[in-house]
Amino acid sequence: MPSFPDEEFFLQIADQVELSDSTLAPARLKAKLYSALVERQRETGPLMSLTECHDRGGRLCVFEHLVRIAPVGEMMKSLNICRVCHARVLAENMENPPMYWNGCPYVEFKKS
Amino acid sequence: MNPIGQQAQRDPQPITTTGHEDSALVSAVLRKDRKATAEFVARYADDVYRYVRCRLAPRNEEVDDLVQDIFLAAWESLRQFRGNGSLRAWVMGIARHKVEDHYRGRLREPESIADEDQDFTAPASSADFPQLLETEQLRKNTWRVMTRLPEQYRLALIWRYWERASAREIALKTGKTEKAIERLLARARAEFRKRWKDAQFS
Repeated sequence: MPSFPDEEFFLQIADQVELSDSTLAPARLKAKLYSALVERQRETGPLMSLTECHDRGGRLCVFEHLVRIAPVGEMMKSLNICRVCHARVLAENMENPPMYWNGCPYVEFKKS
Repeated sequence: MNPIGQQAQRDPQPITTTGHEDSALVSAVLRKDRKATAEFVARYADDVYRYVRCRLAPRNEEVDDLVQDIFLAAWESLRQFRGNGSLRAWVMGIARHKVEDHYRGRLREPESIADEDQDFTAPASSADFPQLLETEQLRKNTWRVMTRLPEQYRLALIWRYWERASAREIALKTGKTEKAIERLLARARAEFRKRWKDAQFS
């Protein structure tokens, strides 16, 4: 039997067997990623205000809409209000939480 | 689900976007548009998660933290995205670097499994690996053996053969000598071969 050098064998395996699969990231993880990113953005200054988000065509959730139309300054509308929303807490801790609001990113992650 | 698969059959199709779409998304995320940030996560979380999960398997408990590190690193360096390639490729490049950092940390730790005196350089015979002809069996066997290897062996093999890093590169990144990495790889290959054979008779 001809010899089969190790190096060649492993290179061949790596070529034929890709380390990959079709598993999707859990919605819970996507929720945590989103929360972490927005929080990191907030640490370096205000977020884009909800007024501007809306004007640029962003879909706001009902809570964000309320803040957008409230008689408060743009500074208030630039806060990370998801931080105090129970949807965030549910989404970060449950894979399929009972949340159905349109425009809520956490709900969108659940659908993906 | 078994996180190993044949590339042609099971690799998910990446989301294709135009350079203009990528630039618009990057620009919106940099302006801290929370909706764009959600889109950024939705668009790339699956790809990054799959990649990390397969590279760290079976240590799934570390996957979430590493994926989060990758996304935060992407945000920190998003201004450096020039649009020369796709945003997906750029994000996956960061993922590869982070996984490499993970490997580096693991391989720097003292080896718990070492047998310096043993000769691991003997080549295998092709008779040891008849499954090369049976790709589905090859996939299953490779996965079974890889997930049961000691972590340092598994990471060394993935880094060398799947990520195509040379022993010299691994040595430079881990602060070990090239000879030490070659010895580690030789032991890893020998252990892989031994377990592969065992798997045939179990």
